Amino acid sequence: MKTMTKKPEILAPAGTLEKLKIAIRYGADAVYIGGNRFGLRSRAGNFSYDEMKEGVDFAKKHHAKVYVAANMVTHEGDEEGAGEFFRTLRDIGINAVIVSDPALIEICAIEAEGLPIHLSTQASATNYETLNFWQQEGLERVVLAREVSMEEIKEIRQNTDVEIEAFIHGAMCISYSGRCTLSNHMSNRDANRGGCSQSCRWKYDLFEIPRPGEQTSVLAGDPVEDFSMSAVDMSMIRHIPDLVENGVDSLKIEGRMKSIHYVSTVSNVYRKAIDTYCRDPENYIFKQEWENELWKVAQRELASGFYYGTPTENEQLFGKRRKIPAYAFVGQVLEYNAETQIATIQQRNNFGVGDVVEFYGPGFTHTYQTIEQLWDEEDVPIERAPKAMMIVKMKVNTPVKPFDIMRKRK
Amino acid sequence: MIEIIATAESVEQAKALVATDVDTLYIGEDAFGLRLPKSFSRNEITEIIKIAHEQNKQVSVAVNAIMHNDRIKTVVPYLQFLQEVGADSVTIGDPGVIHLLQTHGINLPFIYDAQTLVTSAKHINFWAKRGAVGAVLAREIMYEELKSIGTKVTVPVEVQVYGATCIHHSKRPLVENYYNYTKEHKPNTNALYISEPKKPETHYSIYEDINGTHVFNTNDINLFPHLDKLVEIGLTRWKLDGVFTRGKDYVEIARLFAKAKQMLLDDKWTQEQMEQLNEQLMQHHPKERTLDEGFFLKDPSEVQ
Ligand code: SF4
Repeated sequence: MKTMTKKPEILAPAGTLEKLKIAIRYGADAVYIGGNRFGLRSRAGNFSYDEMKEGVDFAKKHHAKVYVAANMVTHEGDEEGAGEFFRTLRDIGINAVIVSDPALIEICAIEAEGLPIHLSTQASATNYETLNFWQQEGLERVVLAREVSMEEIKEIRQNTDVEIEAFIHGAMCISYSGRCTLSNHMSNRDANRGGCSQSCRWKYDLFEIPRPGEQTSVLAGDPVEDFSMSAVDMSMIRHIPDLVENGVDSLKIEGRMKSIHYVSTVSNVYRKAIDTYCRDPENYIFKQEWENELWKVAQRELASGFYYGTPTENEQLFGKRRKIPAYAFVGQVLEYNAETQIATIQQRNNFGVGDVVEFYGPGFTHTYQTIEQLWDEEDVPIERAPKAMMIVKMKVNTPVKPFDIMRKRK
Repeated sequence: MIEIIATAESVEQAKALVATDVDTLYIGEDAFGLRLPKSFSRNEITEIIKIAHEQNKQVSVAVNAIMHNDRIKTVVPYLQFLQEVGADSVTIGDPGVIHLLQTHGINLPFIYDAQTLVTSAKHINFWAKRGAVGAVLAREIMYEELKSIGTKVTVPVEVQVYGATCIHHSKRPLVENYYNYTKEHKPNTNALYISEPKKPETHYSIYEDINGTHVFNTNDINLFPHLDKLVEIGLTRWKLDGVFTRGKDYVEIARLFAKAKQMLLDDKWTQEQMEQLNEQLMQHHPKERTLDEGFFLKDPSEVQ
């Protein structure tokens, strides 16, 4: 029987300490977070050094790793303080930093020796010689550009032994990463320093200028559809075997701005699929329920990006969007009493008696039920749980466990 | 020393440009170079190098594409060809190509050009330590930053002083996908534009080639009125891009820059002269395109 000698790492985004813990509990082998500076997500939750420390301690206990994204493209002066920043990260026990800017790479390599460096996708690495170059520079890993195909990954793997990380899930830049300054020019916001205003998702008019001063809209009259560059998101859930067989070392999930609901669900699904494959590759079959699960937290439709060919009009966001079922994260299980079948739940969104809810938890457990009985903390029966973060008790039909999440269709 | 670098769209135009006192021609083929006015055959490249060298001018060849495996396999013979025919330098944006130059012992000076990513002196110096003889600055750099960069770089840097600015490079065929979706007839032209929502006066050029889709800023760059400032801060490698300014008009614009260079060197540059020549420049600039100074006059705190 064939067995997989090496399982790829599942790398999940964590915008906050709470998300970091959830991602790891739900199956991530590693998480990536942002520090207070040098990142690209100025608006995502960023970690203080104390929070990083707590995150690292938690991760260590669960045999997981923590990386810090410092993938800003620096302008004059931006690099100030980077040496100290990287040294602090190293001393806290961060496992690696994700960097694209050579100025920052150099500072990190010289001033924080011993802290592994991963080349960010922002550098758009698309061939094996580039990977060899960065390996020779001492980098531990290269995150591939999202434009690289599966065939290309196979060839890259055969021609380099630096670690390879590839995106498997989430939203994508329409441009080659780092090669878009639409935001800079249209909104005075620097895309490569965390200010991207998502101009690629806007609706544009497309036209010709046959003679000076004569703009002729090619959409004039009754435009069938505005021009847009916007595209669907990526999901590689159907292609786990290819990723593993071609030797990708780390499978990256996008979304440091995404919710707990998203992070837990996506980590959980990929954990399940990868474990299933690696346990018995020959008898592996893709399960539709995994994809259905990903749909519950999807923002847009899902496709396989550039892995199996250049995206066509079908992967662009034109026309009417398929309706995506929207689910809300309504509660998290704190405790469960097997004798009484009562679960203690922390409220995250309004729910109440009569609602149909779903519990899911680490290990890809799923149960469904209609809420029949509900009590507040003082055991007083209630109909609804309207207050943010209130603690309630609830009768459950099947056992649940702490950290299970309760969701409800909106 | 001021150096004027200009793209060329034909052998004929290359000849005319050489005659205008341009110092360096910038050419290449689409498989390896980005957004060139013309993808030249190897014979044409050989011929242009010969023409330039006869007049003691230089030729720099664009090898600045983002290379996938297929190109990285064919780039070595291309570099060897360029070395053989005497190209004076190449621009490179993909570190894999730098790696190959070195592992194959190809003796071609290279200028680091990763477009939007080249934004600081420290970044440029990183590549200088790895052999780069120069670098091309991103277009999104402001005067205050240029000033700082000028004092810190260990190799000369190029600043674009004229022409279109690419602000988005996607591997997706965005225009083709659009027409495939609408099933409308795709106009037989590369002169398509997009305008921002609620800003019909904007006109961002958009086209596709084998490297993907390219979107250009609504205004082309013109730093003619600010050349003296560039001289002051020591940034004197000036690039003119003719991807949207064609034929004789482009040659005339190059001639104006060459003239400005001479006047600056001779200390004869006056405000009046500048205005008069700039006026002429606008006459030759395509009527359907607009000009401004790009990010040059922006305040670094304006852009977040
Ligand atoms: S506008 Fe779109 S393509 Fe450009 S940087 Fe932002 S997300 Fe990427």
